[in-house]
Amino acid sequence: MGPSPSGLRPTESPSPYQLRYKFWSSPSRNPSSSSSSSHPCTERRPRERARQEDRAKMVKFLKPNKAVIVLQGRYAGRKAVIVRSFDDGTRDRAYGHCLVAGIKKYPSKVIRKDSAKKTAKKSRVKCFVKLVNYRHLMPTRYTLDVDLKDIVTADCLQSKDKRVTASKETKKRFEERFKTGKNRWFFTKLRF
Amino acid sequence: MVAAKKTKKTHESINNRLALVMKSGKYTLGYKTVLKSLRSSKGKLIIIANNCPPLRKSEIEYYAMLAKVGVHHYNGNNVDLGTACGKYYRVCCLSIIDPGDSDIIKSVPGDH
Repeated sequence: MGPSPSGLRPTESPSPYQLRYKFWSSPSRNPSSSSSSSHPCTERRPRERARQEDRAKMVKFLKPNKAVIVLQGRYAGRKAVIVRSFDDGTRDRAYGHCLVAGIKKYPSKVIRKDSAKKTAKKSRVKCFVKLVNYRHLMPTRYTLDVDLKDIVTADCLQSKDKRVTASKETKKRFEERFKTGKNRWFFTKLRF
Repeated sequence: MVAAKKTKKTHESINNRLALVMKSGKYTLGYKTVLKSLRSSKGKLIIIANNCPPLRKSEIEYYAMLAKVGVHHYNGNNVDLGTACGKYYRVCCLSIIDPGDSDIIKSVPGDH
């Protein structure tokens, strides 16, 4: 396959090749020839454009902020969000895995009758942080835009107290996101 | 969506294209590797046999939807798909990573 144009993905912005093709095939540029099929530029372009279209089809979806469902282990059935993904693995884990922050205990249903103290108690979220194999996750079409990159890091799983502080911070951020009422799907328990 | 009755001609052409991919391109056979190719965004076309269990079929289609990869429902069961691949075993789903000389990627995903 040909070299990728400076690492840019074609879907995000027009690549140099596509811009050049548009430039040469515009009628104002070539007033003499009606069709630009005989132009030396266009003979090379269609093949490269086809290759770029093929490249544009592949989309990586296991990216940070993706909402996933954990399928195996103690947290099976829980919803989580990918914080950091290791596609090629590390030396300790030679498979594709990612760092997820998920919900251990979902917030209960809050009704209008509840007092302020009761809503505060019902809106509590218990979190977990875990490294999970890609095979044990089900990706979804939802995303959760919570900034967890600075609190949940690869080394926060080394010791127990680091893990606890990371969970406490994610708990705080999840709770404030729950209270705004956004991402309602993420905070509802998956029924199965 | 009711699919129109697949004519023999198009069915044969898919088989021919698949044979060319088997000869010249890169592919993986089987559910586990299909999901692996979708996760790493290497797969370009997924072909599923018609007797694939519906839960597995929906799962592969969902992954393909996330990865924006075409899915083709093969007009035959896993035995037929295995034969079309030139293998002596059953193939329920396969993923084409590199079509080689074949034009299967461009011509086939007319149906989804």
